[in-house]
Amino acid sequence: MKFHWFAGMPWPDLPEDFRAHNRSVWVDADSRLFDPESGHRLYHEYLDQLEFAEAVGFDGLVVNEHHSHVFGLMPSPQLMAAALARRTSRAALILLGMSIALYRPATRAAEEVAMLDVLSGGRIVAGFPLGTPMDTNFAYGVNPVGMREVYREHLDLAVRAWTDRDVFSWNGESAKLRYVNIWPRPVQQPHPPIWIPADGISSETWDYCAERGYAYVCLASRGIAPAQAAMDGFRSRVEAAGREWNPYQSAVSQTIVVAETDDEAQQRYQEHVDYTARHTLDDFPGWSEAPGWRTERGIREQAERRLADQQPCQTRTPSRTPSRMPTWEQRIASGSLAAGSAETVTEQLEHLLTTVRAGHLVGVFQVGSMPHDLTLRSTRLFATRVIPRLRHLWGDYADYWSPRPFGSSGDATRPERHSASSRL
Amino acid sequence: MADLTTLDLRPGGQTAHVWEGGDPNAPALLFLHPITGIPRWGGALEALANDFRVIAPYQPGWGPAKDDLPGARDGLDLVLFNVDLLNTLGVESAHVVGISIGAWIAAELAAIRPDAVESLTLINPLGLWSEQYPGEDVFAQHPGFPTAVLFSDAEKRNELLMADRDPMDAYVTELLDLRASAKFLWPIPDTGVGRRLVRIDTRTLVATSEHDKVVAHEMGDIWRAAIPGAQSVYLAGAGHIADLEAPEAVAELVRDFALEGVTA
Repeated sequence: MKFHWFAGMPWPDLPEDFRAHNRSVWVDADSRLFDPESGHRLYHEYLDQLEFAEAVGFDGLVVNEHHSHVFGLMPSPQLMAAALARRTSRAALILLGMSIALYRPATRAAEEVAMLDVLSGGRIVAGFPLGTPMDTNFAYGVNPVGMREVYREHLDLAVRAWTDRDVFSWNGESAKLRYVNIWPRPVQQPHPPIWIPADGISSETWDYCAERGYAYVCLASRGIAPAQAAMDGFRSRVEAAGREWNPYQSAVSQTIVVAETDDEAQQRYQEHVDYTARHTLDDFPGWSEAPGWRTERGIREQAERRLADQQPCQTRTPSRTPSRMPTWEQRIASGSLAAGSAETVTEQLEHLLTTVRAGHLVGVFQVGSMPHDLTLRSTRLFATRVIPRLRHLWGDYADYWSPRPFGSSGDATRPERHSASSRL
Repeated sequence: MADLTTLDLRPGGQTAHVWEGGDPNAPALLFLHPITGIPRWGGALEALANDFRVIAPYQPGWGPAKDDLPGARDGLDLVLFNVDLLNTLGVESAHVVGISIGAWIAAELAAIRPDAVESLTLINPLGLWSEQYPGEDVFAQHPGFPTAVLFSDAEKRNELLMADRDPMDAYVTELLDLRASAKFLWPIPDTGVGRRLVRIDTRTLVATSEHDKVVAHEMGDIWRAAIPGAQSVYLAGAGHIADLEAPEAVAELVRDFALEGVTA
């Protein structure tokens, strides 16, 4: 089992009355609320937390890409990965991911991943989400119609740019390049592992990952049942494609907070978990479905789920009843949160991981407004008391979806890896 | 009553799904539908069929032509689709009425093929952008009620667009019609037609609806000013999808202007 530390990098200082003046935490939230001086401190704390995670034994450090987002202060995960490449030496650096549909030309994404792979000595995972409507369509103006085709074309172009050693031309619908010939080239051959994160249940993503052998990353923020449905769906597609199921071809993300006791966990962490929920509850629904972002198949699947969930798409008027924030107990019961003592969290995660059968756990340890010292404390407790109890899971399987850096087994002839400290 | 027929177009080779109604010997009228397509024959189309040979195609990407969207890359492809349709039907020229996104296509057609357009009526036209009058973002709406903003009242969507259809099919079609619109109007409806409006030498009427939340009344003035000799009128009562909300008023306005040259 592999354990990764995910940095969402939320803005922790929203005023209590934020939602009274802002319809959303995305796209059009009031940017006057961002204070660069606090931001400076915050970026360094978040990077310190990632470096700490490596020091206490996490396998990977995870960064991601969002735009115009109060709860995602990383428009460029590559910048953060570059900083981490200099200050860490062992952990995988997992870009989860880069919204490759936004990169024009997409060779820019291939170049930056190759740069980071060389800089880090082969520690990069290249994650490529389709991208949310908020980031990609509303904040960056990419047309949602045909975006899936653009996304797939760009990903194909990146893979070919990494793997084809000859100069080639690319005459795509989106990219037209007379000469493709990227320098530098990735350390990992033929290319860094590719992970595809997907929020929600998209059978098209399952098919895509299954056909190409990419890892599928399921975000379990809605609880264990949807995560299980997603992972069961993906597994069935892998097996239908004639491949043996390997848990390491999948990752599941989970919010995790650990304390000495269950009561202490609730006492210390609840307000910070609630911070996110309070500000994102009933977010502006107009951002969620840019027309064309879903295919017809996706629209039908989504509409059928709405009908099944008693959220009919045909009700006569929009519901104005405010949603209720789930209680601490409800979060734990649904599996959208793993929280408590090390023993309790071990049980919760063992249940999650064996249910969804994922080989990579992407843990969200810094939640909402959680301060630096609390985040480090929870991270340390997890590393010292939970990881050792779950490490044995999936020991019979080989992990083909983690990076293969210089000096990894069977690769003793590679040059020495460098980091900031080794240079001094 | 009218027929929905399927035609293979010449010379482009596209397939057209077309409502045709009215006396075949009456003056031809090409109806270019709004964002919401043509949910059924009736309303304004039926009223117009009293005086015209009505030709109302689904543009590539809308309704039964949903799978033809990839073949239409831009406004020029949409214009050629309609030119080929008239050619295939043996219609040399027609009165052209466009509503919402259809008004943009109508204006492009009149600018590129003035000989094919007898008169031009643009109702709640999309396709020009003004930061002063942005209107509601039609693509940032509640996914359960994605076109409610196009009507003067949210209930009208249910009554005029969704009624008498299988709920799931109606909803999927609603989203696919929006998808087709987004292809040409994302992220802001600046289509570039503004550079070509000066070429229109056809009699032109621009109408805006009283309760249109998307196209401000002032946008009608901007269109009118950009088209040589154009006139503008105000359509009381309706929202953006005027053909569904005010079918009689739309038919009357078109009839008076196209056949009599009269504006209310």
